[in-house]
Amino acid sequence: MSFFHRHRGLTPYLLLAPGLAWLAVFFIAPLGFLAYQSLQSGSFDFGYEFTWAWDNYRDAISTYHEHLIRSFIYAGLATVLALLVSYPLAYWIAFRGGRWKNLLLLAIIAPFFVTYLIRTLAWQSILSDNGYVVETLRTLHLLGEDGRLLATSTAVVAGITYNFLPFMALPLYVALEQIDPRLIEAAQDLYASKLQAFLRVTLPLSLPGVFAGTLLTFIPAAGDFINAQLLGTPRQHMIGNVIQSKFLELIDYPAAASLSFVLMATILIGVILYARVLGSERLTG
Amino acid sequence: MSAYAATPPRPSLLARSWDLVRRHVLTVYAVLAFTYLLLPIAIVIAFSFNDPAGRFNYTWQGFTLDNWRNWDAVPGLVEAMTLSLQIAAISSIAATILGTLIALALVRYGFRGRSTTNFLIFLPMSSPEIVLGASLLTLFLTLQFATGFLTILIAHVMFNISYVVVTVKARLVGFDRHLEEAAMDLGANEWTTFRKVTLPLIAPGILAAALLSFALSVDDFVITYFNSGSEVTFPLFVWGAARVGAPPQVNVIGTMIFVVALGLMLVNVLLQRRKGST
Amino acid sequence: MSQSFTRVELLRRGAAAGVVIALPTSFLAACGGDDEEAAGTTTGEKKQLAKTLRFSNWTLYIDIDEKTKQHPTLDEFEQKTGTKVEYFEDINDNASYFGKIQRPLSQGQSIDRDIVVLTDTSRFPSVMIDRDWAEKLDKSAIPNFDNLQDALRSPSFDPNRDYSMPWQSGMTGIATNTELTGGKPVTTMDQLLDDPSLKGKVTLLSEMADAISLVMLANGDDPTKVDDASFTRAHDRIKKAVDSGQVRQFTGNDYSGPLSKGDLAAAMSWSGDVVQLSADNANLVWNVPESGGAIWTDNMLIPKGGDAFTASTYMNFVYDPAVAAKIAAYVNYVTPVKGAKEEAAKIDPELAENRLIFPDDATLSKVTIFDSKALTNQDYLEKWQALIGS
Repeated sequence: MSFFHRHRGLTPYLLLAPGLAWLAVFFIAPLGFLAYQSLQSGSFDFGYEFTWAWDNYRDAISTYHEHLIRSFIYAGLATVLALLVSYPLAYWIAFRGGRWKNLLLLAIIAPFFVTYLIRTLAWQSILSDNGYVVETLRTLHLLGEDGRLLATSTAVVAGITYNFLPFMALPLYVALEQIDPRLIEAAQDLYASKLQAFLRVTLPLSLPGVFAGTLLTFIPAAGDFINAQLLGTPRQHMIGNVIQSKFLELIDYPAAASLSFVLMATILIGVILYARVLGSERLTG
Repeated sequence: MSAYAATPPRPSLLARSWDLVRRHVLTVYAVLAFTYLLLPIAIVIAFSFNDPAGRFNYTWQGFTLDNWRNWDAVPGLVEAMTLSLQIAAISSIAATILGTLIALALVRYGFRGRSTTNFLIFLPMSSPEIVLGASLLTLFLTLQFATGFLTILIAHVMFNISYVVVTVKARLVGFDRHLEEAAMDLGANEWTTFRKVTLPLIAPGILAAALLSFALSVDDFVITYFNSGSEVTFPLFVWGAARVGAPPQVNVIGTMIFVVALGLMLVNVLLQRRKGST
Repeated sequence: MSQSFTRVELLRRGAAAGVVIALPTSFLAACGGDDEEAAGTTTGEKKQLAKTLRFSNWTLYIDIDEKTKQHPTLDEFEQKTGTKVEYFEDINDNASYFGKIQRPLSQGQSIDRDIVVLTDTSRFPSVMIDRDWAEKLDKSAIPNFDNLQDALRSPSFDPNRDYSMPWQSGMTGIATNTELTGGKPVTTMDQLLDDPSLKGKVTLLSEMADAISLVMLANGDDPTKVDDASFTRAHDRIKKAVDSGQVRQFTGNDYSGPLSKGDLAAAMSWSGDVVQLSADNANLVWNVPESGGAIWTDNMLIPKGGDAFTASTYMNFVYDPAVAAKIAAYVNYVTPVKGAKEEAAKIDPELAENRLIFPDDATLSKVTIFDSKALTNQDYLEKWQALIGS
């Protein structure tokens, strides 16, 4: 497996050390504290005590499983949509971008310069009941006469899709750009149609990018709360909103902590299953 | 005579027209996708020229260049943007380096704990920012480490590492090792091979990862808020300002950064053209 | 009798700010007088003012001179007292800010601030005071204390105003986009919650104190004394309106965009926002509901470890009507300082007539302050959070 035989023993650890050390101190340690908090009981008014309160987890799941499921559905939909939008885009930049590739990549992350809030407010404006989008949809009878997009799950999913698009597009680009165009040519020389060349050559070779992109989109999207808050009604609230409210408004740290761990564990299990389904070592490296 | 020449049959007219359409469909699609992506930005840019009488910048009232002339009229806004850019630059470079090293280790070497690390790297991404930010703050308080510029930086590097690892891995997994083998066969040692063969070939992956972490850093709100001490970054300022009406100068500054960044890239492209490199 | 605040009465910010900026500082110095020395000597000992005052406030919540990019009143304070103000705009949400400062405070550490500003529709001013995380004001340094509006003298979280002084206030009422209601403003909570013609085009505030206050008043209950029965009545009424689809969303001040665009017909809203929105859209009007509205305050508190004397001196400075007028002219929320209206009238009569910034007694009599005990009732808070989606 290793290419650099001589240093097989030590090299990987040397490479890992700086990054993992950083994460150990600044992520694992806080996470440990969070775990400690998740097993506390009590309240802000009367104080918290560490009591091995596994009940917090049980309560978290039983009370908020609906929010959890909803979050995964929204994040899942958003990921699929983001994939559908980003794949052709990434393909185009990778194969037709030429000199302009880096410029186009920059354009993809440009929305991040105006802050999450402003982007979402801009969508609130675009999806306004009296705006072009809604009017067009009404004309096409995709929306009822009195239909609206704002304060619906559609708006929330659309918002999440938009905000996480670069997370999908960039990894896809990274994998697609690596594909040697001559491989595709070769396939066509061997009488494959364009579609066949794509399905048999390009797509499989781009799978690592698909894998990376879907994860980079789905995982943070599942914990999102802003889109549900601004573009949705109470019925659209996600687990992120719950954790937010537990932590800030109710100052219920054990509940917030246990909910967070439930979310993280569920995501991790999902990732493992996903990796198994999609492929194996070749895919994940 | 040409019995052995493997010439494919000439595509029919239908196939060629279909080919033409398909060629352009992709371009049209890409343009549409870009429009979708940049639509809110277009609105932000447009409204930087708006002239509202009140403080909210939601409805178009009239065109004015005043906001651009007085681009620094709002105290604290420009400082906030400068701070955000500084932190983003430093943290994305640091995270890219650390993350790329991890990615190299994960893809190329077998070692104990490899699978675990592979999956644990997803943890920082999956933890909700609010609890992560608050827990990190607790860590800093316990260590009696004053919050401010450095703590924001530390936090940003922390959450960016995972994104870099995953992005660079997507490139490394498909990397053709035979190129490295060929270089070594031709006498290059490991370091030279890495420098002259590997690195240039995975460079687009590293660049994309750096861009992604830059974007994440410049846009981060929740974790930054808890660990910022008295510093105010651009997102922090904007979220606060939105309560009483974000002034059009917010749009102006955002547009400026966008334009400057694109401009720099454009210059880069044109310079490359001069050099004749592709 | 409902009063609508029409565009005629609402002011263009630009005009007001421009006029106030032109005011020479010497005029104000003559007005203000030298309180600081007086405050120092009356106690018998000369208390020292600190070299810097560290003041954390909400973003864009103090006067700004766009040409010099300074805050004129802060500079004035420095000129008068020699104390420099380090001004931080790092508060944008009560709960988030509290989440940030509560750990050091709970461990007895100072947060390096002399003044922070927290809203009394959140539980946090109560918490700070009850847990002894706030320093007492040095009232001997605040002779201008008497300028505090009577209506705000005795809030339930600080009955003697020993720990806090209001910075700015605001009122909660109903904003209407009259284009969608046939020209007539929505003036009652009953209409807001029950009128089918408004279905799906109404929002309520996500702030429990605001929403519950207004609905309790509509039910005939008293929001200054909340009990389980009255809370439940209000809660259930809101729930009904949400479940039926009457209420579209719970919002912070993000109702502003949809309201001005006509996505919403009416919104439970804050007075200060509508001052701004109506300057661009004459169809937007604001009312205190007929059954009554709410008044809330952003309060200056001195966190533990802050310099009480210097902070109190600053508060005194801000309660000088002339200074208060300058701040109100920019911020456009309700000023808590008596006499500021008259000072503002000397500079800009139109500003002084704005009943959303200087409400008359009739309006003030119809707004109530929410019972702060209800804000620390975990049961109520949990029910409310469940109602708004989480």
